[in-house]
Amino acid sequence: MGYHRYSLWIIAFDSWKLGKSAIFFLVYFFLIKRGSDSFLFVYGRPAVLLLLGLSVIRIVLKWFTHKYRLDEDAFHLKEGIFTKSKRTIPFNKIENINEHTSFFHRLTGTTSIIFETGMKGDEAAVEFNILSRAKANELKERVGTKKETEESVVTVETKEEAEREVHFRAEKKDLLKASFTSLSFLFLLPLIASFYSKLDDIFEVEEDAEGLVSQLLQSGWLIATIVVLVILISIAFGISRTFLKYGGFEIASDSDRIYIQKGVLDATKFSISKHRVQAIEIHQTMLKRLLGLAEVKLTSVGEARSDEQKLESNSLYPFLPVHRAYDMIEEILPSYQITRKMDRLPRISLLIRLLKPSFIWIIGTGVLWYFKPNVLPIPWWILSVVLLLIVSVIRYLDYKHTKYTLNASFVQFKTGGLSTSLFLTKRSKVIEISVKRNFVQKWFGLASVDLVNRSKPIHHSAIEDVPHELAGSFYHWYQGRGKEVEFIKR
Amino acid sequence: MAVEISNPNLRLSKDVVKVWTINEIIGNGIGFLVLGVLFYLDHRFLWWEWVGWLLLVATGISVITAIWDIFFHPKLKYKHWRYEIDEEYLKLRHGAINEQHQLVPMSKVQSVATKQGPILRRYRLYALSIETMGSSHLIPALSKDEAFQLRDTIARYAKVTEEGE
Repeated sequence: MGYHRYSLWIIAFDSWKLGKSAIFFLVYFFLIKRGSDSFLFVYGRPAVLLLLGLSVIRIVLKWFTHKYRLDEDAFHLKEGIFTKSKRTIPFNKIENINEHTSFFHRLTGTTSIIFETGMKGDEAAVEFNILSRAKANELKERVGTKKETEESVVTVETKEEAEREVHFRAEKKDLLKASFTSLSFLFLLPLIASFYSKLDDIFEVEEDAEGLVSQLLQSGWLIATIVVLVILISIAFGISRTFLKYGGFEIASDSDRIYIQKGVLDATKFSISKHRVQAIEIHQTMLKRLLGLAEVKLTSVGEARSDEQKLESNSLYPFLPVHRAYDMIEEILPSYQITRKMDRLPRISLLIRLLKPSFIWIIGTGVLWYFKPNVLPIPWWILSVVLLLIVSVIRYLDYKHTKYTLNASFVQFKTGGLSTSLFLTKRSKVIEISVKRNFVQKWFGLASVDLVNRSKPIHHSAIEDVPHELAGSFYHWYQGRGKEVEFIKR
Repeated sequence: MAVEISNPNLRLSKDVVKVWTINEIIGNGIGFLVLGVLFYLDHRFLWWEWVGWLLLVATGISVITAIWDIFFHPKLKYKHWRYEIDEEYLKLRHGAINEQHQLVPMSKVQSVATKQGPILRRYRLYALSIETMGSSHLIPALSKDEAFQLRDTIARYAKVTEEGE
């Protein structure tokens, strides 16, 4: 089988991207500064055009030189205009699949797809920036089926015929709740501010606006109407933003993969093989705790392009009702079990937590002592005491929230002061552990444990000040992991 | 269920105490040299008065930590350093005041290498560094035979992978 070129659309797609980034320079050099004869602009104008021309040539050459080929079990990629490179990525190294359909893709009936591996660096993923939907499905099929045959040798569970089951679909009610919890209506304010300052740069409206504002302020009714209007608009804006982002959110799974899709204009589909899930985290901010919502995250090895993307793609719906979240984890990943009842920390670790010197407080007090601010009619040391109280309350909450349990082959931690996070993983997915005791902890018979999971970069999770006996049984628990992993001799 | 974490049973080479002591002497020597230069500059350019006091305090602290680093810490560190390997795990334990136990499955070891700097060479010792997927561990000083043997053993044990990787 020979090598294929990528879709011709890629030229359009890259040009679109180039245009988006070039428009600023074009406008700046040729419109705003068109009269300037400073040497920067005299020489800058042809330079901009030259760079633009070169970029266009590069895009075309890229289409000619980048090629790919699929065989039974790997991608083969050829690329490079001057320096040629060839890469082979076996299907069984692919950790997860990320399909993203932006507005541009939607217009052209195409999509983009990224196959992420566990490797580090720029060349870790196989990316198809633009390709037809049919082709995308074909690729997913190829990668997916290959994996299944390989897995069936090693997994113990019997496989039923893959039938996709939908676990969660965001309804109107959920989306409304989400838009309030995420405080997305506040996003309008910076938007207005930035719009205003841009407007100001161009038309210098500030003075006019000041006159207008002072006129408006004289009428109470007008102010009230404007405030109500702004609030209404922000709420509408927040809700529509959430609907665009999370509308059509759906979590589904079949016997060996999990599928997450979301978005109305910008649609993203994410899928991960179940046995590649390294750990599960359930996050709750304070607001979410009050409303009984939670965010479930799957820790996986594959690398997303950016932190933001990673945060989003690995997250199941961020506003799940908490009970539904627990049930769903067990439905989706039957090999994971959540233990509802967990052990609390001993009293003594509250004492340690409170006694630990707080750098925030020390530095804060230092700053207060040095500047002795006079903004409020209270002496500086009261502010310092208040700071200490806040720190202590957060530490108390952390003590209150911290819970742990070791259950057969699972370990489960819950930590956090203001926002909490529950961490659940299997013994076979933990790649390393350590138990630490400093001299204070030794004194009180406590220890801290730290465990490491595969991710990118590796994921540390720690629990502080557990009883020493627990640390011991944790160590022995981990020593027993050999029973659960199947070794393959290399 | 047993609760105590058993100590691994192998120790470092006894000479490591000398190696660490030499290291600390060099390190602290450089520190005092820097302090000396600062004192000279302070004297020469008449910096503010409080700088002099700060330097005196720093010197006091440095003397105390130097005594600890050179005369006590190497011995204590040696006394508490233990390691052990078996077919499944690499076990490390170190630290006198803040003690730490580490447990690394052999199947996660990616590479193992011996290293030697000038001071280690003087005592014919080798350090063994063990890289895993996420971290790197160092056994600071072993005799030549021990180091090479351990390296080969770990390399042999590490030849297994787990399913799904």
